[in-house]
This record gives sequence, structure tokens and C-alpha cells, in this order.
Amino acid sequence: MGGPALQHLYLHVPFCPTICPYCDFHVVRRYGDVVEAYLKRLAQEARGLFEQHPGPLTTLYLGGGTPSFLRSHELEALFRALPWNIEAAEVTLEANPGTLNPERLGLLRELGVNRISLGVQSFQDSVLKTLGRAHGRTGALRAVEMSLEAGFHTSIDLILGLPGQDVEADLAQATALGVEHVSAYTLQVEPGTPFALRGLAPDPDSEAQALALAQEVLGTAGLARYEVSNFARPGRESQHNLAYWRNAFWGGLGPGATGQLAGLEPHIFAVRYTNPPLPRWLQGEEPLLEQVGSLEHLKESLMLGLRLAQGVDLELLEQRSGLEVWPALEPAVRQLSSQGLLVVQQKRIRASDLNTLHPIILQLWDGLERQNPAPLEPRRLPGY
Amino acid sequence: MQERIRNFSIIAHVDHGKSTLADRILQMTKAVSDREMREQFLDSLELERERGITIKASAVRLFYQSKAGETYIFNLIDTPGHVDFGYEVSRALAAVEGVLLVVDASQGVEAQTIANFYLAMEHEHTIIPVINKIDLPGAQPLEVALEVEEVLGIPADECIFASGKTGQGVDEILEAIVARIPAPKGHPEHPLQALIFDSIFDAYQGVIPYVRVMDGSIQPGDRIRIWSTGKVFEVDKVGVFRPGALEPVARLGPGEVGWITAAIREIGDAQVGDTITLAQNPCDAPYPGFQPAKPVVFAGLYPTDTQDYNRLREALEKLKLNDAALSFEPETSEALGFGFRCGFLGLLHAEIVQERLEREFDLDLISTAPSVIYRVKLTNGEEIEIHNPSELPNPDKIEAIYEPYVKLTVYTPEEYVGSIMQLLQEKRGKMGNMHYVGKRVEMVYEVPFGEILYDFHDRLKSLSRGYASMDYEQAGYQEGELVKVSILVNEEPVDALAFIAHKDKAYGIGREIVDKLAEVIPRQQFAVPIQAAIGGKIIARATVKALRKDVLAKCYGGDITRKKKLLEKQKEGKKRMKAIGKVDVPQEAFLAVLSAGRD
Repeated sequence: MGGPALQHLYLHVPFCPTICPYCDFHVVRRYGDVVEAYLKRLAQEARGLFEQHPGPLTTLYLGGGTPSFLRSHELEALFRALPWNIEAAEVTLEANPGTLNPERLGLLRELGVNRISLGVQSFQDSVLKTLGRAHGRTGALRAVEMSLEAGFHTSIDLILGLPGQDVEADLAQATALGVEHVSAYTLQVEPGTPFALRGLAPDPDSEAQALALAQEVLGTAGLARYEVSNFARPGRESQHNLAYWRNAFWGGLGPGATGQLAGLEPHIFAVRYTNPPLPRWLQGEEPLLEQVGSLEHLKESLMLGLRLAQGVDLELLEQRSGLEVWPALEPAVRQLSSQGLLVVQQKRIRASDLNTLHPIILQLWDGLERQNPAPLEPRRLPGY
Repeated sequence: MQERIRNFSIIAHVDHGKSTLADRILQMTKAVSDREMREQFLDSLELERERGITIKASAVRLFYQSKAGETYIFNLIDTPGHVDFGYEVSRALAAVEGVLLVVDASQGVEAQTIANFYLAMEHEHTIIPVINKIDLPGAQPLEVALEVEEVLGIPADECIFASGKTGQGVDEILEAIVARIPAPKGHPEHPLQALIFDSIFDAYQGVIPYVRVMDGSIQPGDRIRIWSTGKVFEVDKVGVFRPGALEPVARLGPGEVGWITAAIREIGDAQVGDTITLAQNPCDAPYPGFQPAKPVVFAGLYPTDTQDYNRLREALEKLKLNDAALSFEPETSEALGFGFRCGFLGLLHAEIVQERLEREFDLDLISTAPSVIYRVKLTNGEEIEIHNPSELPNPDKIEAIYEPYVKLTVYTPEEYVGSIMQLLQEKRGKMGNMHYVGKRVEMVYEVPFGEILYDFHDRLKSLSRGYASMDYEQAGYQEGELVKVSILVNEEPVDALAFIAHKDKAYGIGREIVDKLAEVIPRQQFAVPIQAAIGGKIIARATVKALRKDVLAKCYGGDITRKKKLLEKQKEGKKRMKAIGKVDVPQEAFLAVLSAGRD
């Protein structure tokens, strides 16, 4: 397999104690001996990937679902199933406040986890109730404190701008607790979720307002906005998520997980695959493949990279894709920068306002497509 | 052979089942096998099928064995069924000796039934009334037959009761065609006189005129002359229309309907209504009634991508070949760049042309709101025609503005007369006369054409629950108190959005248009003011608020594909927009004037 060594791995744990009404991730309640079957298949899948991509890993992310909802022996089995060296890696585990206690945290520590991402959402009981969360304010506070006491790099998820929410109070609470990373999401109502059915569509003006407030309150506490929805003390950014936004390669394990690996042929830059949902994944069904040509990879890199406060290094993209990026983009970049929408430093570009990226992305895409017309039709590869 | 030919058309009010009946006739004369039978066989344009209406005349030759055992040649010429296409109907009718006048058994006689009836009468045609759709639950065939007698003066017992859908009564229609419609006249020895009633364009053969030979005959090798242009061509092939194909024959004699190829390259050499004769032995006079089609509605058509300008011109040239009524000339708009000001027979015609251009020629177009032709008398005595509202000179240079009127005939059950009168008053209509025919009323009005251009027909239909019908003809010009309203987007006047309105209505329409624009122009990264102005005076304003957030909150590894698709979709949407200054303006915006000032 060509390309640089695989450094990042995402592992999906689909089980949840309750299903949140805004969630569109691949989640299921646990039943029968499904977790056992899951762990068995996971071990198999991990071995296969490891043979091709032996690492070592710099990041491992256990997302869900609610990975912390697994029982202790299941968590142990899960880590046993991963043959990679993770000693130097950032190892994040997503957790729900109700699923943590000092004992459990100790075990996680032992297994190699060093970062906890807590799905707090809010510190207000009424908001948590609207969200259908299992925990309340007390549970949220306790979980954050425990995680910090146990020495984990701790990140919390906050939701912004729900009806009846005092956003400022939630943000202030987060800074008071001393977390070093906050993911603050405006409510994204996905089609088909119960929230969508209730017509809870957010309005862009109040979303922008809430984000501005988050930027102010968290910024004052030393957590800088480094991505559209993410804030961190410098040096405490999520290395794993940065890999996505820099459009790197990563492996994906588990049902519904997505991975992106280097392509096997010159005109296929990358292959993105998505595993089938749990029942079919357990039966060994193949993932869905999407071949990404160099031009498409570039377009995605712009779309993702502009979400970062530091923006995109076009020179790096040129090196990676082998395409002429700068000449294609220069006219658009100059124009956008004269309109005050882009900030240009040598060959690095960043958006002046992280809230409004679409017109910028579309204009840059236009430049790329003009310069590199008619991308090669990607062909289907034999089993990947 | 000539006495065994029957040339006929089917005429009807729109939606009275003409195409279905034509299909059934094709099937019952075995012109098409049941297997080939698809609905609306004659409506070959994709668009016609989809809309279920006939836009273009089209012809087919059928063989019918009568009950007496004789074989006849039937030439069926289909006609458009919409009020916009009156000229095409009249040319198609010139090519036949008789018509089937189709009337819906539940709807009864309607305005176009009457208009088409009079057209057929002008040609002194045999008229076979057919009461159609008798299979429907609401059908009242006898009542409708009596109405036909009362309104049109055709004896009720001449009516044939039929259903195009079930085929009931169609054999009776076929026998009536043989028995009642006369064989075509004309002499084989006379000089050639052939009427062009339609034409198509073929990439290899050039323009192919569809003709009806009135006198004389035509065959390959003949040198023909086009009457109006005087140009001479050598005939390559002649032929007839078989279902789904053009079939070559040795010659076309008097009374026959067919096609000619003669390496004709220019559209102007095969205009509908023109006459073809022989170069050496011409006829004395052309077939009467030819008139170059007169567009009455004008709109600008612009490619969204300026690089498509030449493709648009080529496409318009090709369309014009079999759409004689379409006219176009280059036009430049400050807002939209290079495009064409196109003339149409009406709004439906305009819409169809735009759709055909987009579909058949794969163009993305922006069209401006259609406008009628105004005549302006300047203070210096000069008179000019205004095809585009933005060309209207400053008020101080104008002595008077004249707007076109139409004579509008509305045919309605009496209970809707009151509300229709109210609608016509709102449209500045002047009542001509009104008379009762049984329980129906025929109302004749003079109305400014611009007032009925957009939604009049829809509103008439809705306030009469679909029962009232209308027809109109151009009725000259009258002076009006008209003003030009300019629209400014982001402080810049947009010529393509300017419109002319009666001064009493200008404020209201201006208000509605700026509101509508503020609604359809997508939010940009900055606030966009929209204003309406008469001269230098702002009469209405609205604002498109700045878009302050468009990114999705979450975008991780698993979201990339979906997120990219979303953006690609936005990009496609943007293609359908025109950048005016820094503002992206969608197509709907240019048509905002259509939906404004209507209640």
C-alpha cells in the first residue's frame, strides 16, 4: 500500500443506553450477546487493517454511540483487539456523564486512554430534558470534575442556542470548571430525526450570535476558536479531528465507521470507505467504497481546511496532490482577499469569518475546476 | 386517386381530448400497431407529451378501408390547441377540406371552440362535430349537442358521440370523414401551387417544408420557387408522412399532403403560410392569407454563462425553423450581458421556447419578464416602438405613450358574470357587448394586453371554477397613463428588471416586486438593499439581510462525502443565477413582475 504510514484510527462503538432525539449517528441499544459478536468481528477487522497499516498510531478515537457504556471486561477486550502501538498516541474516548466513576476512569487510564470527550451538552436541567439526555446538571458537573481529577485531558460538548437555554451561563460554567477543550455546536437538525419532525430549525442569525458569544467567553478564558465549532487551550486541540480537517488518511473500524486510505492507482488519490450498519457488518458485508481523484481531494481539502482558524496551506496541497494549485486558485484568492473574505499569508489562506465559508469554497472550487477540467472517471477497484 | 383523398384536421378547445382522439384514429386505421401505440402519438416533442398539449402542427397519412370496401387516403393534420397558436391553426386549416370539431361532453362549447369554428367556416370547410369523452361520468352528450346547435348553428343530429379513450364512435367518425368531407380539388396539369403549413430542420437535409399541394404536382428534380423570397431550389426528394417516419414517394399530386427536401438552408425560405411553385411554370398567385407571424410579447433571453451566447444564437436559429412565430434580435443588458430580445405569440409560447432551448440545446438561460410592445410619441414628433421597458425615454421627452389592447371574448356560465366583470374592471377593461346564449354568456371587452398577459387566464379559471373560457385578438393601440418603474439592486439600477405600468398601479406593483425580490434573492455575505423608483424617486424599498452563518456545525471524517454533495448542489444552483455586481440573482427574480400587482 502506497502513501504515508497510517497514523490515525477511528473506532466506532455503536451502543447507547438511550437514543437522543437529535442524533443521526449510527447507534443501537445493546441486546443479547450482540456486544460479544461485535468485539469478535472488530478484532478480525482490526487484524486485517493492521496487516496493511501497522502504524504506529499518533491518534486513536473511540466514538459512538457511547463507548463508555461498555462494561469493564468489554472495554478490556476491545483494547486487546487493537494490535497497534498507541503508547505515544492521543487516545480519546467519548463518554456520557452518567457512565463514569473513578474506578472506570482508572481502568481507562490503564488501557491507554488519555483524553475524555464528555457529551455534557448543557449544565441546565431544562435544556438537558429537552435534549432527552439521561443526565442532569449535577451528573454533568461531577463527570467533568472526576475526569479532570483523574488526570485526563478533558473536552466537553456543548450545544448552543436551544430554546430556553442560557448560553452564557453554560459557557461560563465550562470555563469555571477548567476544561481545556470545548466543542460548541449550534443545533444541527438532521432530516429524519425527531427534532426535525418537531420543526426545530435553527435560524442562522441567532446561531452566529451564539458562536460569537462562545468565542468571546471561551476566548477570555484562554480557549481559542481553532475550528468552526471547536475551542481549545493552545496545544490542546484534538489531534485526531485535526487530521480530518487537514484531509489526512485515517482508518475506520466498526459498523458505520468511515475511513480514508491512500489510493492504489495514480489517478485515484484516496479511497474513502464506509462500513455497513451493525447487522450487516456483523455478517461480514463489504464497505461502500468511494474513489477520490486528485481534483476531488483538493476540493475536499479546501472545504475542510477552511474550517480551521489557521486555514489551508496551499503549498502543502500542491506537494500532496501533484496538481498546480496556486496558479489555478490565485485569481480567486486575490479577489476574495480584496473583498476582505480571505486572509492570505504567502501560500496559506484562511477565512476572515469562520461562519460563512460556502461562497468562498465555491469560488475556489470554480478556480480549480477551470484549471483542471474533466477529471478522470474513477474506476471501481477490486476489493479493497 | 384524387377522389379517394380526404384531408382533415381536428380542432378543439384545449383539453377537450383532441390528441387522444387522434391517437385512436391512428390505431383504428392500423396506421400504428397496438404495440407501437403510445399515448399522443402525434405529439412528438418531449415537451408536448409532458404538458399534454399540442404545440406544433404535425401531419400523418393513413389508409382507411370504408364499409363500402373502398380504400381511402386520409391526411390528418394535427393543430395546436392553445390560444397563442392561432396563426398555426389557420395555416393547418388551409391545408384541409374538413375538420372534426371536438367538444368535451361534460365541458360543452368553450371560447376556443367558437374561435376555431369560425376559422373553419372562413375556409368554407365541412365541419363534423364530435362530442367527445362520452365515457366520463359527468358527460352530458345530448345537452352538449343541443348547445352546439344553439351556439354554432350546426344541427344537433350531425353530432357524432365518441370517446377517444374507449374508441366508441370512432368508426362512425371515419365513415363520416369519407361521406361528408369532399375530395380535394385542383388539377394535375395546372402550374404547381403548394402551401407550406409547417417545417422542420434536419442536420443533413436542411429545412424540410411540410406542404399541401393545391394545384399541379411536384417531384424530385423539379426546380421550385419560394413565393415570398423568390429563391429557386432543386427538389431532392418528396414524400408523405407515415407514423413515425418520412416516407419518400415518386411525386405529390393535387390534394396531397407531404414534405419536400431541396437543400434549403435558410429559415426564411420556408415560412409557414408561404407558397411554393415551379420556377419555369409558376402559378398566377400565391395561396392567399400568408402573413409573416407577428410576435406580440417580448422578453429577453440571456445565457447564464456568457460564453454560451453563440450557442444560444444557433439554437434560436434552429428553433425558428419550425416555429415561424419566434423572432429574435441581439440585445445587450448592463445587468445580464449579451442576449436576445425575443418575440413570442404569448406567454405559453415564451415558456415553451425557453424550455425547448434548455432541454434540446442544453442551455442555462435567464429570461426577463415578458412585456408587450408600447408605442411612444416623442415631443419632437417622432414615434418609436418600445420592445423593452428599459428603453423607455425620460418622461420629459415623451408626448404620449400608447399601449396595445386586445378584444377579449369570455364565455361563461351566467353565475360568474359578476365576478368576471369585477376582474375585468381591475384589469382596466372596457365593456364592448354581452349577450346570452342559453345559460351561457359571451362577454366582449377591450382590455390592455399587458394587463391580461400574466395571470389573467388562471384567475378567470379559478373564479369560475374552471367553467369560463377566453379567446382574444389584437385590437390596436390606445393612449395610457403609463410610467416606467426602475428596480435597483444594491444601489444599482437593473435594466432587466424595469417595467412599465399604469401610474395608478405603479406603487403597489413596485412594493410587491421589491418584497418578492427580497424573498427570492438568497442572502449574501452583506446586506442588499432593493428599491423601486419612478424617475429619481424611490417608491418602495426592502432589504435582503446579510447571511451570517452557512457552515454546518459538525464536519468530521464521516461527513465529508455528504457535505461535499451539499456544496456541489449549491454550486449547481448558483449556475442558474446571474451575478449582478456582487449579488447573485436567481431566475425567479427576473420574473417577479409576473406575480406582482395581481390582486
